[in-house]
Amino acid sequence: MNHTKKNLTPWLYNLPAFILIGIIVLFPILYTGYISLTNMNLYHWQDYTFVGADNYVRALGKIDSGFIAALWTTLLWTAVNMVLDVGIAYILAVGLNAKGLRARRVYKTLLIFPWAMPAYVSILAWRVGMYNTEFGLLNKVLVALGFEKIDFLSRNVPAFLSCMVLNLWMSLPYMIVMFDGALQSVDRSMYESAILDGAGAWQKNWYITIPSLRKVMAPVIIMTTFTTFKQFDIVYLLTMQKGAVSGSTMQTIITYAHQNAFVSNNYGLSSAVSVVIFVIIIVFSVWTNRAAKEV
Amino acid sequence: MRKNIKISLSLLIAGAMTVGMLTGCGQDAAGNAGTATDGTAETDDTALEATQPEQEEASDEEQAGGASASGEAVTITAWHDNDEAMMDALAAVVNEKLAEENITLRFEKKSDVTGQIRLYGTDAANGPDMYLFAHDSLGGFAEMGILEPVGNLISADKEADLLPMTIEAASYKGEQYLMPVYYETLLFMYNKSLWKGEVPSTTEELYDYMVENTDANAGTYALVNQHSNSYNVAPFINGFGGYIIDKDGNPGLNIQETKDAISYNKKFAALQADGDYNTVTALFNEGNAAAIIGGPWLVSGIKEAGIDLGIKSLCDFTLPNGDVMTPYSGVQCLGVLKYAAESKKDAITRVLEVLAEPEAGITLAKEFNCAPANSRAYEDAEVAANEMILAMEKSAQKAVPMSNIPEMSVMWGPAESLLAAVNKSGEDIDAAADQYQEEALQAIADMQ
Repeated sequence: MNHTKKNLTPWLYNLPAFILIGIIVLFPILYTGYISLTNMNLYHWQDYTFVGADNYVRALGKIDSGFIAALWTTLLWTAVNMVLDVGIAYILAVGLNAKGLRARRVYKTLLIFPWAMPAYVSILAWRVGMYNTEFGLLNKVLVALGFEKIDFLSRNVPAFLSCMVLNLWMSLPYMIVMFDGALQSVDRSMYESAILDGAGAWQKNWYITIPSLRKVMAPVIIMTTFTTFKQFDIVYLLTMQKGAVSGSTMQTIITYAHQNAFVSNNYGLSSAVSVVIFVIIIVFSVWTNRAAKEV
Repeated sequence: MRKNIKISLSLLIAGAMTVGMLTGCGQDAAGNAGTATDGTAETDDTALEATQPEQEEASDEEQAGGASASGEAVTITAWHDNDEAMMDALAAVVNEKLAEENITLRFEKKSDVTGQIRLYGTDAANGPDMYLFAHDSLGGFAEMGILEPVGNLISADKEADLLPMTIEAASYKGEQYLMPVYYETLLFMYNKSLWKGEVPSTTEELYDYMVENTDANAGTYALVNQHSNSYNVAPFINGFGGYIIDKDGNPGLNIQETKDAISYNKKFAALQADGDYNTVTALFNEGNAAAIIGGPWLVSGIKEAGIDLGIKSLCDFTLPNGDVMTPYSGVQCLGVLKYAAESKKDAITRVLEVLAEPEAGITLAKEFNCAPANSRAYEDAEVAANEMILAMEKSAQKAVPMSNIPEMSVMWGPAESLLAAVNKSGEDIDAAADQYQEEALQAIADMQ
């Protein structure tokens, strides 16, 4: 009896948290799964019925050439962003920790600023303040230098690069702060030994700093990879927002799914697409977690 | 002992968190969780700011009950995403008339009203009683079965003065679901101090003027327009005999007439900056564009900018094919949710009756340049002399009411993408039209 009570007690303590998680996380997922098996749409709003896997057949039917192109774009987007994000953040973090650097705190405060701004505000500010043909800083500079104006968001390659620059602007502060924190944990005596052995700056970085940071930074990099992979708002708000479509047809898998399923008011089909994306993201998550363990 | 205190404290905090999380799901005593005024309700930040003092007083006594005939106070809540001052003025007209009957109309501003109505259209506890929005979303809501036809609430003789065009826009499958309040069309609006000479009467002359008076690198433009927004390009499309979607729900993005119109619009687009709403509005308000194609919703900003505004109906411009530019007309209507019609029928009927009278239209016309749906409102001398309203009235005689079938809701995306592809990305019109026609057909198929 005592043994049973001992076993049940921890569950009892956790019960409120489980209830909350159930309501906030589990219920929406299960309900989405339920809706995906019905024909709930504009024409069957209140009288929807069970249609089995029909919506999944239709959702998988959407995995056509457009989806494959969107998947490649997403992988390219993730790879390029992460390489630049990690590389630039590392260089800046090392720079911020350089001996004799004055006003270090001021730089750190300024660098964190983009991260503190709400994403929606940042994106719209960049769309108007940087990329806009009339009011954007980049076009002002181009015209001042005697060049023609450029619509940075109207074609795929410039739009990809423009989205990438903004993504880096928004994500670098977090990565720099993480690198900066991790750098504090590196044992200084190793550098002193290395200097005695005649190591230069490059060798100290390559043989001491980077290996020392690997385990600390791996979870951060994996989490950021994950958020970069499922990036939606930058691409959508810069190029696809209703009433301000830029002309670029660049799609990531999330924007592709949104455009193909969520504008139709067909909740059954949209839910099925959501579940498919959910599964893709879970697979990606499992893969990245496994990669994290191997580091 | 300490362990027990810790356990008790943990349970207490967890319990408090649970209660806190679930508080938002609750209802007030009158069952008005979504529209309550105690500050806990889920409303937009700006929603409550829009309320009138008398509305606030009344809301304290708010209740879900039926008619005001019993003498009990009834508050009718309507969601909108319009100018708040305009909605306040409209509410004031109704509330003044119905003060003795203890009925209060209160507007709450919501972003994405159509999306919100889809979510809350069957939720009597959290949804509104009515909503005010353009008529093009009607078909979808009617098919969802969430709207009460206004014909069930107000007798036909009370609506006798409403313009037939507005009644047509407010009807779907032969049934009038909505109460028209005012309508709007696109207009040619120009800065009298910047425009040189007379405003032309043909689009070709207009184009020649634009070529002569536009310097994109200097940031000065003769005419700006949202050239890749299908609502703003509709005057060309309709004028060329094309259409975005026909009354049977067939998209017309790749029919020859539509393609001709889009090709013709392209040469104007090249002289109209990037065509984004914010860009073109700022260019005009800052005096960097001499004219803009826009609607009455721009007037408050234009007035603030101190611009001497001139107005001309788009129907006064002749296209190369001999027809005139033919804009869409959008009728702003009130829709009544079914559950509200059941629980507050008498009060809602009285609100609709007041809105069907000329006074509401006259107020909106005088203060906000809105073209009233009530024909008798135009008998008012000040309304009859309003340049903008006259231009809209003239346009409305030829304007095409936006389609209100459900399929229209998925057409804006492909149509805008087509225009952006042609105007901004320089894609071939034939290939792009076929591609987006296909996308539109797929979007319509996905609705089922």
